[in-house]
Amino acid sequence: MTQYSAKDIDVLEGLEPVRKRPGMYIGGVSSAGLHHLVWEVLDNCVDEAMNGHATQIDVTLHDDGTTITIADNGRGIPVDMHPKLKRPALEVILCTLHAGGKFNNDGSGNYKTSGGLHGVGASVVNALSKKLTAIVKRDGKEYKMEFARGKATTKLLRKKAAVRGTGTTITFHPDPTIFPKTEFNPDTIRDRLEVVSYLHKGVKVSFDDRVNKKKVAFQHSEGIEDFLSKIIKDRDAKPIGDATFSLDKENGQRAEIVFRWTESTDEHVRSFVNGIPTASGGTHENGLRAGITKAVRNYIETHNLTPRGVKLTHEDIREGLIGILSVFIPDPQFQGQTKDRLNNPEVQSFVDGAVRPGLEHWLNHNRTAAEAIVARIVLAARAREASRAASASVSRKSATSNRLTLPGKLSDCTASNRHDTELFIVEGDSAGGSAKQGRDRAHQAILPLRGKVLNTETASLKKVVENKELADLITAMGCGIGKDFDPTKLRYQRIILLADADSDGHHITTLLLTFFYRHLRGLIDEGKVFIAVPPLYRVDVGKDTHWAADEPDRERILAEHANGKKADITRFKGLGEMMPKTLWETTLNPATRRLLRVDVKDGLETDRVMNDLMGKDPSARFHFIMDRAEDAVELDV
Amino acid sequence: MAKRRSKTTRKKKPRNDRSLFDDAGGNNGDGLSNGIEPIALHEAAQSRYLNYALSVITSRALPDVRDGLKPVQRRILYTMWQQGVRPDAKHRKCAKVVGDVMGNYHPHGDQAIYDALVRMAQPFALRVPLIDGSGNFGSLDGDAAAAMRYTECRLAPITTEILDDIGRDTVHFRPNYDGTKEEPVVLPSRVPNLLVNGSAGIAVGMATNVPPHNLGEVCKALLKLLDNPEINDYQLVGNDAIQGPDFPTGGQVLNSRAELREVYKTGGGTIRLRGTTKPGPATRSSKILHITSIPYGVNKATLVEQIAQVVLSRKMPLLLDVKDVSTEDIRIDLELKKDADEQKVLAYLYKNTLLQSNFSVNLTCLIPTENPEVGSPDKLDLKAVLRYFLNFRLEVITRRLNHELRALEKRIHILDGFALVFDALDQIIKIIRASDGKADAAKKIMARFKQLDAEQTDAILELKLYRLAKLEINLVLDELKDKKKRAREIRKLLNDPEAVGRWKIVKDEINDLYAKYGKTDKRRTLIPGGEGVEDPEFSEEDFIVAEDNHVLITADGWIKRQKEIADPSKTRVREGDRVLACEAGSTRATVALFSNFGVCYSTRIIDIPATTGYGEPVQKLFKLKDGEKIVAAMSMDPRVANDIEEEEGSDLCPMTHALAVSDDGYALRFGLAGFVEPSTRAGRRYARPSKGARIVGVEKVHGSETILAATERCRAMVCSAEEVNYLSGPGKGVMLIRLDKGKKGEQPDRVLGFKASGGDRDLLNVETNRGATKTISTTKYRTTGRGGRGVEIQKNGRLSRVVPEEVPPPVQFGEEQT
Repeated sequence: MTQYSAKDIDVLEGLEPVRKRPGMYIGGVSSAGLHHLVWEVLDNCVDEAMNGHATQIDVTLHDDGTTITIADNGRGIPVDMHPKLKRPALEVILCTLHAGGKFNNDGSGNYKTSGGLHGVGASVVNALSKKLTAIVKRDGKEYKMEFARGKATTKLLRKKAAVRGTGTTITFHPDPTIFPKTEFNPDTIRDRLEVVSYLHKGVKVSFDDRVNKKKVAFQHSEGIEDFLSKIIKDRDAKPIGDATFSLDKENGQRAEIVFRWTESTDEHVRSFVNGIPTASGGTHENGLRAGITKAVRNYIETHNLTPRGVKLTHEDIREGLIGILSVFIPDPQFQGQTKDRLNNPEVQSFVDGAVRPGLEHWLNHNRTAAEAIVARIVLAARAREASRAASASVSRKSATSNRLTLPGKLSDCTASNRHDTELFIVEGDSAGGSAKQGRDRAHQAILPLRGKVLNTETASLKKVVENKELADLITAMGCGIGKDFDPTKLRYQRIILLADADSDGHHITTLLLTFFYRHLRGLIDEGKVFIAVPPLYRVDVGKDTHWAADEPDRERILAEHANGKKADITRFKGLGEMMPKTLWETTLNPATRRLLRVDVKDGLETDRVMNDLMGKDPSARFHFIMDRAEDAVELDV
Repeated sequence: MAKRRSKTTRKKKPRNDRSLFDDAGGNNGDGLSNGIEPIALHEAAQSRYLNYALSVITSRALPDVRDGLKPVQRRILYTMWQQGVRPDAKHRKCAKVVGDVMGNYHPHGDQAIYDALVRMAQPFALRVPLIDGSGNFGSLDGDAAAAMRYTECRLAPITTEILDDIGRDTVHFRPNYDGTKEEPVVLPSRVPNLLVNGSAGIAVGMATNVPPHNLGEVCKALLKLLDNPEINDYQLVGNDAIQGPDFPTGGQVLNSRAELREVYKTGGGTIRLRGTTKPGPATRSSKILHITSIPYGVNKATLVEQIAQVVLSRKMPLLLDVKDVSTEDIRIDLELKKDADEQKVLAYLYKNTLLQSNFSVNLTCLIPTENPEVGSPDKLDLKAVLRYFLNFRLEVITRRLNHELRALEKRIHILDGFALVFDALDQIIKIIRASDGKADAAKKIMARFKQLDAEQTDAILELKLYRLAKLEINLVLDELKDKKKRAREIRKLLNDPEAVGRWKIVKDEINDLYAKYGKTDKRRTLIPGGEGVEDPEFSEEDFIVAEDNHVLITADGWIKRQKEIADPSKTRVREGDRVLACEAGSTRATVALFSNFGVCYSTRIIDIPATTGYGEPVQKLFKLKDGEKIVAAMSMDPRVANDIEEEEGSDLCPMTHALAVSDDGYALRFGLAGFVEPSTRAGRRYARPSKGARIVGVEKVHGSETILAATERCRAMVCSAEEVNYLSGPGKGVMLIRLDKGKKGEQPDRVLGFKASGGDRDLLNVETNRGATKTISTTKYRTTGRGGRGVEIQKNGRLSRVVPEEVPPPVQFGEEQT
């Protein structure tokens, strides 16, 4: 073992450390690291474009798949002699770590914000390239210089002929001794270029993929707004309202934000810092979230739109939000395993402070969109509450749904085939319990409804769908409603209304009939809707038990069976009063029960009657009642 | 409805047997076999609905005209009577009462029954509570009563008058819901309960709302009607009869006597009711007004909250504070400014809170029919209600007399038996001693005394031995005499076809009731009589305390008012925003806001939020459309906006009017007089710009100004304001400047802004896209006619905007108030 002493301490000079420890600079020598070289050079071009000096970026992947040329029409890297180092600036930039024009961003500098920051980008690429050629057009002249593995191999050469325009063109070939694989992936590059073109509106970005012989050019005059439309289209999301919120704010830092609400149920925000995607978010995204939440809350409060009975969480507010956030800041600090999480605390308040008043103003001036958005948010909150209550989700997109989103209180049947299945709509949980226990579980499903159902005679479709009980019913039936109505999707062969045989039960039956008639007429026309006939009386004569559907029936039974013996008569008030077995025998069992199939015989008459009974005009009801009072049988006491 | 008996066989079929569904093969082929019958939807709905409706009408929501009770109330009282929880008994747990009511007579929810019970015990709900509750029975503040396991109850003394005759076969009984018991169809009430306690209920197709009345007054009215059956409705309403409703919570009725008579005559109408107040102590800076009663049915806590809202929003600045210091009696303290006009404050509260509310009378109730078990609904007038009650009383008394007579006759029969055998008692004792038991004794006695029947014999056998004493016969004979006398009396009463005697009993009983309960029961609700209460008239403006304010609105539409804004440029606005206008005016005056869509929104200055913050979005006050924004604001305070009145019949425009320019080069002048009154949230149109065009600005002009306008493509128009037509209604206007249409695919040129210049030094500043500022003035460019292409300001580039002028400080009014 040798002595460990001062002579063992190495100091790596120049670009040596980059070649020794490439991972420190480009995050490894894998494919990601390899492409990082391209991004570094590209970032330099983007910086030129961002600061208004370049309008075009051309990337060429040569047919060997490993040589790449990246050109911009910016100002060109300076080529004059560096005052301190007495070498051309071009060489200084490409051969020295921490050399660059982007350290100074107090406003007097040449760059306000930039993606490349540490002055390492270009030199790192140079250090890790087998060969790198830089061509600079500047002041009507063209310069060229070549490098290999970080060292200049030629002097700064000047083309004799004068040239037009300005710009920088870098061609490099990654060093195979560093990278196990030096072939670039054209798709990765293409995607990145497309994003670049979106983030920098107006800049033309072209990609010449000579490996696959494909040329593409991207240019987006609306920048990230175009990007947003593309994302919305790709995700097949349905936007709410027809206006997009966009904001471009500059104040030392710059934030470009676009977003809109959609009907999808997740939140999707793509964020970028200085053109670099930040998949793990960070302070800028936090600022955006906080700003949106506060602005929307403020709007809701100011205009007294606070919904009753439900609290809006920030997740509700941002549900369905699709947006792009691109910030340009002078000194980004990243964090996390993959360095894709922004950590500058000041950015949060900057973005928040820009979004909040901006969005509030936008909401105030786009009432239609704002109202649609608030409605959507309230719906999200209600759906959340409802799903928690029923421990099953309410499908919001459409009333048609699969079995996974059935309401929690539905006791479904086991048969997988619709054939012969029945859905019993039962009044109240107490009756639901009996029905559940007494049914034939293979073919009979039970859905208990609570209390009186909404009167749908004059209710709009929207109101119907918002009503919890009816929404559950629609979901359970599966056939949808309104324009989504499709009788072939009905999940059962028969829909049977099973209400108590008392006056309130009759009322519920009428309310349900109104609902089917006005909103699901197709089911009645196809003969799918039935009314069950539970018995009204139980007559015990000695050991025999008889059930009577109504009073005359009861008298008949008494006359037939009692023969002077004492008979006990019990009147059923609620189905919950019956033993499950009794319910099965009298009402559920297809072999012995009695069903009434609801038909529409006289369309006009039916319409008039339903309107009289359930409509807005109480005088029609009054006359009906007074005219027909004599016909009533079996009133409650 | 078809009838069918369900199968009674208990054959157990395997549950999951598909064969159960054999009938249902094919498409939706529900063959009509196997218990399936078709029914027409409208018939199914009709029969069921009818059943529901009639059930609700006849046995849920409406009271019976005779005892004024709904079924649930009647069942509660009857159950309590049966349970013996009478006024002199101990209180009984409400749960026990509710349980019996539910189990015996009322097969509905327990909570509904308990709620009904609680209401009958609440002294603020019923004029004469029928139940004496012990424990927390709720309050006027809407607090619910304690749960029924805590509270206790017994019948109130007056309820005895309702139930006392029930055991005397006075009313019809019907079987209960399961046929195991009997319940009274109506209670034999001596109290005219329908009118005294009122009733409220919503049935189907009809509803009822009977206000409570004073028992004494109702008794008087009943007596009046008894004395003169031909009396008309008007005579039943007056100082010597029913003055009007008498609510348990007091308050004051505002209707005139004539109005009340009309209400009672038609059985429907509106009674205006308000709380009463009395002045309280004053302090150095304020004075107190006590609210001593509130309208019937108003939740006191809600009312106090409403008044507090008025205080907080400063809508009635004379009202400083509100405090609810009620204990058993109602007292809400209103703190007013020392010099405030109480009438004005109260008028505001009457108008904007429940301190005044309406009671819609609807005298619908169930009246007896031929079928003693069901009533039929009808809307009655006061006289009919009283008439039905009196007839009912007569019926009850008749039935009671019949009942008494039957008992008397029975007793007389037995006493006759006694009298017959008294002298032969020794024989009877012998027979009994010699007999083998009671049956044998009876047989032998009846054989010996042929006149006796089984009943009499039985009574003799049941005699107590002490009655064999010598003097007992006298007692029997005395009783016999009394009983026979009484029986004669009753027969006379019953046999009189005119029923004069029975009517007298009716009258006596009403007099008794009056003496016992009515005389001492003072009226609680004030009735003005005569003309009713006339209020001093206050208009909207009267409630606004006049104060000079400054209104500020920003370009982004944030609006606020402050007492004084000395320098609008110092006002803090949000980033990127700027002050658009700052106007002065009284809180009673209005300010007009002109939007780029050609709509003018006017609001009272008092309604603009007063704040030192940024203000509130103008969209909160008005319904602006998408993209619509305010481009100008003008105070309509007459001290600022003078000479805006249009002269009748004159075709000259008023001295002061406005000029608007749209970005497509059109301009118009219009009068401001139509925008002085507050507008709706939708505003009023002042211009109709072409589709897509926007108004860039509105300025107040007198016609003598010169218009300076600038366009995006560097054109300036300088012309006299007089050239722009004055329109009498909203329109598009006339062409101010002919704009460059632009090359193909290019947007046409547009007007950026304008200024009505008052002179050579009044300039319009514009900014070029390079950031330079240029000025347009009457000295720089020659004034031309309107409609031309204008002058070119510069060859290249574009103008980006008109530089907004600094907003001048608003007018400062002097001390004196208008």
